Amino acid sequence: MNAPVTGAVNAPVKAVTEIDWADKNYLVVDDFIGVRQLLRESLRSLGAKNIDQASSGGEAMGLLARIRYDVVLCDYNLGDGKNGQQVLEEARVRNLINPSTVWLMVSAEKSVESVMGAAEHQPDAYLIKPITEGVLLTRLNRVWHRKQIFRLIDQAYTEKDYLRAARLCDAAIGAHKAHEIDLLRMKAKLMEKSGEPVKAREVYERVLEQREYQWARAGIAKIRMANGEFEQARQAFQSVIAENRYYIDAYDQLALAYQNMGKLDEACAILERAAKLSPNSVLRQRSLGNVALKLGNVQMAEKAFRKCIAIGEYSIMKTPDAYLGLARVCGQKNDPKEALRLLLQAQREFAADHPDIALRSKITEGLVYHESGDYRRARKAGDELEALLNATEDRPDVPTCLELATLLFAVGVKDAPVELLCYVIRNNHDNPLLLDDVQKIFDKARLGDEGLELIRASKKEAIDLMNQGVLLWKTGKLKDAVAWMRQARKKVPNNQRILFNAAQILVSHMQQHGYDPALSAEAYEVLHHVDRLLPGQQRFAQLMEQLAQLQPVVEGGAIAEVA
Amino acid sequence: MDDTPDAPELSLFLASTAHDMKNSISVLSGTLERLLARATPQTESAYPEMAHMLYQTKRLNDNLMQLLALYKQVGTPAYPFDVQPLELGQLVDQVVALERMLLQSRGVKLELDYDPDLVWHFDEDLIVGVLSHAINNAIHYTCDTVRLAIRTTDDGWLELRVEDNGPGYPPALLRAGAIATKETAGGMNFLTNSAGLGLYFSSEVARMHRHRERRGGLRLENGGRYGGGCFILSLP
Repeated sequence: MNAPVTGAVNAPVKAVTEIDWADKNYLVVDDFIGVRQLLRESLRSLGAKNIDQASSGGEAMGLLARIRYDVVLCDYNLGDGKNGQQVLEEARVRNLINPSTVWLMVSAEKSVESVMGAAEHQPDAYLIKPITEGVLLTRLNRVWHRKQIFRLIDQAYTEKDYLRAARLCDAAIGAHKAHEIDLLRMKAKLMEKSGEPVKAREVYERVLEQREYQWARAGIAKIRMANGEFEQARQAFQSVIAENRYYIDAYDQLALAYQNMGKLDEACAILERAAKLSPNSVLRQRSLGNVALKLGNVQMAEKAFRKCIAIGEYSIMKTPDAYLGLARVCGQKNDPKEALRLLLQAQREFAADHPDIALRSKITEGLVYHESGDYRRARKAGDELEALLNATEDRPDVPTCLELATLLFAVGVKDAPVELLCYVIRNNHDNPLLLDDVQKIFDKARLGDEGLELIRASKKEAIDLMNQGVLLWKTGKLKDAVAWMRQARKKVPNNQRILFNAAQILVSHMQQHGYDPALSAEAYEVLHHVDRLLPGQQRFAQLMEQLAQLQPVVEGGAIAEVA
Repeated sequence: MDDTPDAPELSLFLASTAHDMKNSISVLSGTLERLLARATPQTESAYPEMAHMLYQTKRLNDNLMQLLALYKQVGTPAYPFDVQPLELGQLVDQVVALERMLLQSRGVKLELDYDPDLVWHFDEDLIVGVLSHAINNAIHYTCDTVRLAIRTTDDGWLELRVEDNGPGYPPALLRAGAIATKETAGGMNFLTNSAGLGLYFSSEVARMHRHRERRGGLRLENGGRYGGGCFILSLP
């Protein structure tokens, strides 16, 4: 089963016999039958027996849904339908492949996507045709070795125990010189996720001492942007782009920097350039559409949203935002009929995965009527929105709440927006910028004084809830503290301070009275919830680590994968 | 940035055609390699012709790869240039894997001299392309041996040499090589034969590799260990 090694080569390909590639399950995806056959023959000479083939992205998805593959060889260009990247994204998001699965992306030439930078779903390697048996084996072995080195780190990362993952990186750097840069890149990312930007920056600078890696420059720029140094970040992203025009991530970040500086025109121009270089990103087209809409560039917004919908047809990243945005565009073009048609379509297509789609569609409907001057229909939408809010305890995310409250005030509804804004304050009582925004909405509705009082009362409500819990905890009444925080979370489900304190008290309880699976599960639930609200916080990483250390050791270090 | 309005369509058309041609070449060279692997000069009377077909297919592939890369303007910020750290062992394994069947079928010995654990930073696809092109070339002109030697120089460069024991480069090519290596590779006037494309491509790839104030370079010589042609790539 070994590849024939020519006697003329005096240093034969090493590691040929280290891994048994014969027993693995393979999937080959290419729209050209000749290439499929060729790859199948190559795999057979490695001893492979179980080789499935697909000629399109759709066919590949069908197979991936039924069978767990160890190795996927996927062409990037698959003709009509999903491309290779979209197949990979969907397979990862739907958990159809194992962390150990080797995914090799094949293309005829070097693709822009291979150097984009921070794209979330990267294959393990990009291979350029022609692929001979020897090249295939070399690359399979390399990826396999890399996965071995990263296995425990990736596992800790998946469990969101970022601090443990970072310690594992440190330990691996000494032992694997060839992967030092890769490990440092991972460590910097972990430090960012742990709310430790200073440490992340140190890691990036350590990389730059060796070589001028643009991702390290971009990493430092991102940290500066998070720190509010928008102008410095802008300059840094621009020089990254000047060095490598295809480093697409830097464009997206540069656009964000411009948005933060209030320069929407520049942000829009950058996103347009990025979308030209790498047009098949749902998220980028959405950003472009949103910025263009804010600028009143209806034509460009329409183009971006339509493109976003078209790519989304084959992508797991498909988003209702494009439909809502396009509906707004139609409203501004004085075509409310088409807008309503799009909103209905959005509700049909996204009902399953987006429980708030009915509410969001109705908000857009109200905005469309309001902007087109049909105040009667706008008011009717407002009343319907009030009814929707009364029917459930759930509230949408903060930006949607603010948008909704603004609209409701504008169309003449009063109680619902006041309730909504108080909810926002209770759940974000220590965010002064947001409090200012809310006050402005009250002012605009000519409710300035009333708003001031409401904000004060809502703030106090949240603070009292939290302080009582902390008092119980500090005075050693841990059981009561746990129960109190449970009640508090019911009243204010999305307040980060309260959530962190609730998790902290659960952890303290277990540290003093021993591990309890129910409390542990509750703490994890609270922490994952707060991480969804605002990722990358220091307290999250610290509590996740403390919680992981409390877990009883049963699995002997390794977690078995789903076979 | 300053694309003409109809440029996207043309580039899409070119890209899909190139994609198709690559598929055809992949199948051609893959099939030839398989046929050659099964045969020997004794059992297959057309063995030498098949070996020559493989060489020509590889040339076709090299040329296509180089044209595609140059179309994307290697050497300007327009090519998706991607530097990564890599062990030399990984680099050489790939080059050897690409060349093994051609070497064997032409009865040429490849001598290797390198430290497999040394880590360097470069664009793997481009450097594999340059080295395999140089070796394809050497296989065609050598007597019976090609040598790939990689070492670090005293002043901190990585020097990759492809040497052979053939008659060496003709004077015209050495002159073209001298032009190609100049910092200001002004005109393309040395591009009068197919060797010019490969040289131009290789020197552009070399120059793209930068570190601090240094830029990679290419030079052609006659001599080396076996007195034939020497293709020398230096990376910072």
